[in-house]
Amino acid sequence: MRAIVIGAGVVGYDVAKLLSHAEHDVVVVDVNQDALARVNDKLDVMTVCGNGTSTAVLEEAGIQDARIIVAVTAIDEVNIIACMLADRLGVETTIARVRSEELSRKQTVLKPSDFGIDLIIHPEESTAAEVTRLIRRASATDVLMLADERLHLVGLRLDPDSPAIGRTLIDLVSDTPNIKFRVMAIARGIRTILPGGRERLRKNDQIFVLARPKDIPAVMEILGKSDQKLEDIMILGGTDIGARVALQLSQEKDKRVKLVESNRARAEELAEELSSVLVIHGEGTDIDLLVREGLSEMDAFVAVTDDEESNLVTCLLAKHLRVRKTVALLSNGAYIPISQSIGLDAAVNKKLAVSREVIRFLRGKHVKSVANVHGLDAEILEIEAAPMSAITKDILMNIDLPEGLLIAAVMKGDDLEIATGLTQITPGARAYIFVLPDTLEIAEQLFAN
Amino acid sequence: MVLNIRAVIFTLGILVLFLGVALLLPMLVALFYGEPEWWAFGVTALGSIALGLLSWFRRDEKRSELQIREGFAIVAFAWVVLSIVGAFPFILGGVLESYTDAFFETMSAFSTTGATIFGGGGNPDIEEIPKAFLFWRSLAHWLGGMGIIVLTLAILPLLGVGGMQLYKAEVPGPSADKLTPRIQETAKRLWLIYVGITVAEIFLLMPAMGPFDAVNHAFATMATGGFSTKNGSIGQFGSAYIEWVITVFMFLAGVNFALHFRLLRGKTITVFRDTELRVYVGIMAVATLLITFGTWSPVLAYLPSFQGDAVFEGYASISEALRYGAFQAAAIITTTGFGTADYEIWPPMVIGVIFLCFFIGGMAGSTGGGVKVIRHVLMFKNSFKEVKQLIHPQAVIPIRLGDRVVSQDVMKNVLSFIVLYLGLIGVGTLVMAFFGLDLLTAFGATVSSVGNVGPAFGTLGPTENYAHIPMAGKWVLSFLMMAGRLEIFTVIIIFVPAFWRR
Repeated sequence: MRAIVIGAGVVGYDVAKLLSHAEHDVVVVDVNQDALARVNDKLDVMTVCGNGTSTAVLEEAGIQDARIIVAVTAIDEVNIIACMLADRLGVETTIARVRSEELSRKQTVLKPSDFGIDLIIHPEESTAAEVTRLIRRASATDVLMLADERLHLVGLRLDPDSPAIGRTLIDLVSDTPNIKFRVMAIARGIRTILPGGRERLRKNDQIFVLARPKDIPAVMEILGKSDQKLEDIMILGGTDIGARVALQLSQEKDKRVKLVESNRARAEELAEELSSVLVIHGEGTDIDLLVREGLSEMDAFVAVTDDEESNLVTCLLAKHLRVRKTVALLSNGAYIPISQSIGLDAAVNKKLAVSREVIRFLRGKHVKSVANVHGLDAEILEIEAAPMSAITKDILMNIDLPEGLLIAAVMKGDDLEIATGLTQITPGARAYIFVLPDTLEIAEQLFAN
Repeated sequence: MVLNIRAVIFTLGILVLFLGVALLLPMLVALFYGEPEWWAFGVTALGSIALGLLSWFRRDEKRSELQIREGFAIVAFAWVVLSIVGAFPFILGGVLESYTDAFFETMSAFSTTGATIFGGGGNPDIEEIPKAFLFWRSLAHWLGGMGIIVLTLAILPLLGVGGMQLYKAEVPGPSADKLTPRIQETAKRLWLIYVGITVAEIFLLMPAMGPFDAVNHAFATMATGGFSTKNGSIGQFGSAYIEWVITVFMFLAGVNFALHFRLLRGKTITVFRDTELRVYVGIMAVATLLITFGTWSPVLAYLPSFQGDAVFEGYASISEALRYGAFQAAAIITTTGFGTADYEIWPPMVIGVIFLCFFIGGMAGSTGGGVKVIRHVLMFKNSFKEVKQLIHPQAVIPIRLGDRVVSQDVMKNVLSFIVLYLGLIGVGTLVMAFFGLDLLTAFGATVSSVGNVGPAFGTLGPTENYAHIPMAGKWVLSFLMMAGRLEIFTVIIIFVPAFWRR
């Protein structure tokens, strides 16, 4: 199947890679020859140099046979027009990255469908939302919503003095019968484990726990993490993401937000926009300034400048000054694997938001939604059990499930149940499953007719 | 980063395995014709397959992707290794006594040069050797024409992303373009077109020369190789029909296969607007006309310089002159090197035209050798640009190809290629002269080898062969043939110390 990616930047590269590895015939279009050369060297894709808003260029890229187009250039208008053209030319799925709020608002004159866009992705918006969630959950390295926010998947790193260390998962669950939670995945070193009940937790494990939002503080306690509130927050970088995070956090009571921006004009603009945020004009690399503004008294520090190195370094500095939680924007992704080991609490990345949407398309039909978490190999799918499918034959305990598959929760109509061995999946029910990449096909077969 | 030798050896192993399978074909031919030498192919095939399987089972599970360096190393060494192995049947079957000759013949076959050592220096005549060996020479041509690595890419998916590196290193032309998003698909399409045109030629030749000769000559034509199954090459058939069919197919083989692909998809306009194609056709037409008129006796009589021991009286009819002229122009320009006449006895003006044709080559992305038309086009455009620049020193003048601007990087690559190409010819001529060849022969042999043409001048004319070249000279020419086929950079790079360093 042919897929066209407009824009060979960081996001475009990532999307092309994803699609290409999923056996799609990918054509990447960009105006920049150098960016294309990089794509050509690293990926088995075709490249076309030209503007994505030109029909001739799109035709050269083989739009007639394309089933998906992902427009992720830095310019909204290009992305929108490329998708409009693609829609006219009969492309099934059009995904555009649009920064402007105009199209994403609830009440808007122009809807994405007016442009023939099936899906708007907004990397900045989703990244900002992720940062906000991370700040709200003080101890979490990752926070993800499933089942219309009725389930939270929280990633956290076990402290060396956690009472849970050395215990099996069965023990942990049976100790507290009132609180329903489940450890879905363990990232241990570079390995991702989808644990069985007899798995013992170890020091330095990063675990991913699934629970209802109201149970999360209790779960944190069981795992030896305090879920204290973070009240004083400093944000470095008045970028799109920084401004969004500042806005969202400052709307909550008890939170005091400081935003540091290096550009005077931008700082003034932000100060005007964000009335309850203290905007400070200054360089992020000016350590004295950050300390003077009370970096050491902060509960959380968020670095979201465009320069990922300085994000990383200032976060380490904040960590050194005993700031409880640091979050860095690592746009390139190259530093994500080391971010945890050098002491950073959490890293966010614009690319992931886009990748999630694209994977969702790839899984297609009966797979409803998906998520993936950085540092975790497993994919999280929402998958519908087809009538007569193997998975509906018996309660889960009696079904021979492959190693790399865990069933997290089952949604029957509006009933949500965290899965146990006794759970019976009925046809039409939607299950949230964790799968390792090599088990993906087997998992899909289990749920298929 | 240092060269990933394991990955290189693994890939070479796969290619040797492929060669082993290919060697089974001449074995079948030998069995079919009841020739006792079938075992020579069988043994070599078995050995190659065993060697390939060995490297397959010893492969590194954590096979990392091929980088640019591995790409160059694999392609360069592959051609050496394939020629070393491919030469064995000649020795085992007792057809040739000297391994040097066998290697030269095999490299000449794979590199689609078509220079032979049969028919002189104690080696048997072409028509004396068993059919299986003739078939093996043609098959090697054919595999080398589109590229054995491209073939492997088409059949085996396991070269993966690194495939692009190999493809770039093997496909001729300043920039290798993909036809489809996936390299494997691209390789498949190229080979399908190649096979398709070859089959068409076989069918056209069959009625005139019988199945065996038709297959062999089709292979040699489509690869722009030039090995024939007859002592007197194509001329021996004496058939205008055969000559015209082969002329047309030589022309087709010299066209960029990406254009064949587009033509098949019905994009006629883009194909005929292609600058390189137009120039290619233009050069072909001009050369044909010049040769035709230069060998047509009514014109010949008025050519001033033609004196001395004239044995050539010209062709009486214009159609005859055109038949020989078109064939010769196509044979030399596309670097096929078939012969229907001895051009060395033609008038000097015509020899001059043919001499220049040695430097043209086919189009980029064709099976032809030589400099390639596109490089000539770009070089001339660049030179005109410089002239214009002298008049308007401040002007910004992009070099255009059709409606596209050619990047400076490509221009630099083309110019360095030309310099290296001419440099190689200079050094080669010197070395060949050092071995005692007269200057014309030394120069001709070098130009012909680097350009993958086949016949040359002096004592290496279209009616002669390379048997009398000294042994060391044959190794030098073999090297030049490979350097020419892989377009110099790929070969020269492995001699650069930095390539082997971290």
